Amino acid sequence: MPAQTKSAAKLQGAWWKYTAGLLMAYVIYGAFAIAHGAIGFAEKGVAARVIFFHVPCAVLSSVAYFAGMCYAVRYLYSSHRKSLKDDWYSAAAMELGFLFCILCTLTGSIFAGIQWGSFWNWDPRETSIVIMLLLYASYLLLRTGLSRSPEKKARLSAVYTIVALVPAQFLIWVVPRILATMHPTTTLTDPRMTSITYKMVLYPSFAAFTLLFIWLMQLRVRSLRILALRKERALRRISEKY
Amino acid sequence: MNSMPWHKQAAALWKKDIRAEMRTRVATGSMGVFALSALLLIALSMLSVKGVEYRDALGRLKPAWDDAGKMALLWTLLCFAAFTGLAHPFVHEEESGTSLALRLYMSAEAVYAGKLLFNLTTLAAMMLVITPAYMLLTGMNTGRLILFFPIMIGGCFGLGSVATVVAALAAKAKSSGALFGAIGLPILVVFLILLMQAAHLCYAGNATPISIVKDVGGLVSFGVMIVALSAMLFHFIWDD
Amino acid sequence: MKLHLHNLGHRYGARVLFRGIEHTAAEGSVTIVTGPNGAGKSTLLRIAADLLLPWEGSALLYQTSEAVTGAQRKMTTGYVSPEMALYSEFTGAENLAFYARLRGLQPDNAFLRSALEKVGLKGRGRDRYADYSSGMKQRLKIAVAQLGEPMLLLLDEPGTNLDRSGAEILQEALQEVRNRKGIALLATNEPDEELWGDEKICVNAV
Repeated sequence: MPAQTKSAAKLQGAWWKYTAGLLMAYVIYGAFAIAHGAIGFAEKGVAARVIFFHVPCAVLSSVAYFAGMCYAVRYLYSSHRKSLKDDWYSAAAMELGFLFCILCTLTGSIFAGIQWGSFWNWDPRETSIVIMLLLYASYLLLRTGLSRSPEKKARLSAVYTIVALVPAQFLIWVVPRILATMHPTTTLTDPRMTSITYKMVLYPSFAAFTLLFIWLMQLRVRSLRILALRKERALRRISEKY
Repeated sequence: MNSMPWHKQAAALWKKDIRAEMRTRVATGSMGVFALSALLLIALSMLSVKGVEYRDALGRLKPAWDDAGKMALLWTLLCFAAFTGLAHPFVHEEESGTSLALRLYMSAEAVYAGKLLFNLTTLAAMMLVITPAYMLLTGMNTGRLILFFPIMIGGCFGLGSVATVVAALAAKAKSSGALFGAIGLPILVVFLILLMQAAHLCYAGNATPISIVKDVGGLVSFGVMIVALSAMLFHFIWDD
Repeated sequence: MKLHLHNLGHRYGARVLFRGIEHTAAEGSVTIVTGPNGAGKSTLLRIAADLLLPWEGSALLYQTSEAVTGAQRKMTTGYVSPEMALYSEFTGAENLAFYARLRGLQPDNAFLRSALEKVGLKGRGRDRYADYSSGMKQRLKIAVAQLGEPMLLLLDEPGTNLDRSGAEILQEALQEVRNRKGIALLATNEPDEELWGDEKICVNAV
């Protein structure tokens, strides 16, 4: 294929990346210019604009875990020769989950500082996200401890992902329900509670963050593949030399 | 030749581990000494708040260090003590090279069952010593016995099951000792939250049957789920 | 009874150990596995013991026309390897008794005594494994591998640290496998030991 048509095909396949960029730009603009300040919040509701970034991050940090777990299950139970590709996808999802977890904690803490007067309140959802952070961190730690064999690393970290699902799902479903929370649980799930300007920004924001997540995942998997190839090539070069 | 039923193999492994433990006392010794020193430190550092009372959100006077708080500290202590000793059964097999023979002579499920049983036994033995000593030193009450015992047993089960599967994972990594606590404790934090929630029931006068089933059930189901998943996945950890 | 190695190959990461090994060991035969250090003799035996999944190909054990798999295969395999260790906190007899129990045997005193005597450890059963010399450890490992009269006996450099009478014990063990129509694989580079086999596989680094 000539180089020109190849790059044209690449550009055609990238349409959704442009969409992601445009959507994200719209969300950033909309968060400050379209949505009105929320009623009943401190500082005339200016701080509440953080939800356009905070809530998608929170959702993604748990969705990423489930994505990582699905790929872990796929890796372990693929009947024929196990493919390290599934492990890369699983690891990439978990790394991104860690990233969005941090972003969610930071944005939440900024809002809490302005709205509730303290950056940290031991609200159950705050506790949950911190423990979620710890779970992600220990997953990544386990992977660094298993750097010798890629197959073993893939197998054991997949097992850890599945076992840690038990505390993760308790965190997401059970803990916020058994402890009293300051989080507005119904504000976002009940459509009557948000104004039309909020919806105009919040719903595109979910789409923008989801596309961003998929894009980042693709990039990370590609870089993990390159790292693995480079390691293999280095090994081969050594065995040729000596 | 017929294959051995897994529970008989598991029982043989359990007996072997108990016997080795009686001789070397690595796991029980390290856990016991750790738990006793921590116990002493907790009791000493909490002397200052012994008689202190505070007003809660509704304006009622409450002791700063009540029974539920004492229970929470007891479990924190037990968790850390467990994590000093419970990696030993797996790490020892991997480090001394005896795991290779076990892989040939036993099925993975039998190894898991045997090691889980051994860890639960050691943990129960430690709790039988530590809990009364803690109650004596801090003056913790048992509260309602009908809830106290299920909570202690459920806690032992959950703690042991998490420690077992995490120890098996950590034993396969380099510097497994350091990794063991780091990858196990985040899982246990969630479990401890459930445990403390259930512990409140012991001392609350107004516990309804529904809240008892919900909280104690949640506690037990955590352990059951961990054991079920670990048993399913153990051969991925154990076999090369 | 036969052991069929078909198009067997293994690699660690990018390093290929061996490829395309084709061999059928008939019942009552002893196969010698030779090859330079690091060629993958031990790996081949590990695969034959069903302790390692091969990268490509298969190593199947047939009792009749059906392959023996899983727990049943493990129960009919005896394995000696330098990487394998027994429990140093137990005595020789206790070690034997433990593995015998895992094989479903009832190890009474007479059983243990005869098993120890067979490998020349008579009277040393009550000493700790940790206090054994390396040759005695090797003998005990051979005794453990023979528990339950396995149909597939895999010996990975079994002659290490053994004296002349130790070598006789090995020959006797191989003869017993032949008599019960089992299969033995012996990985070695000792010219004397290579003479004990009927067939030979040469593992060469690719």
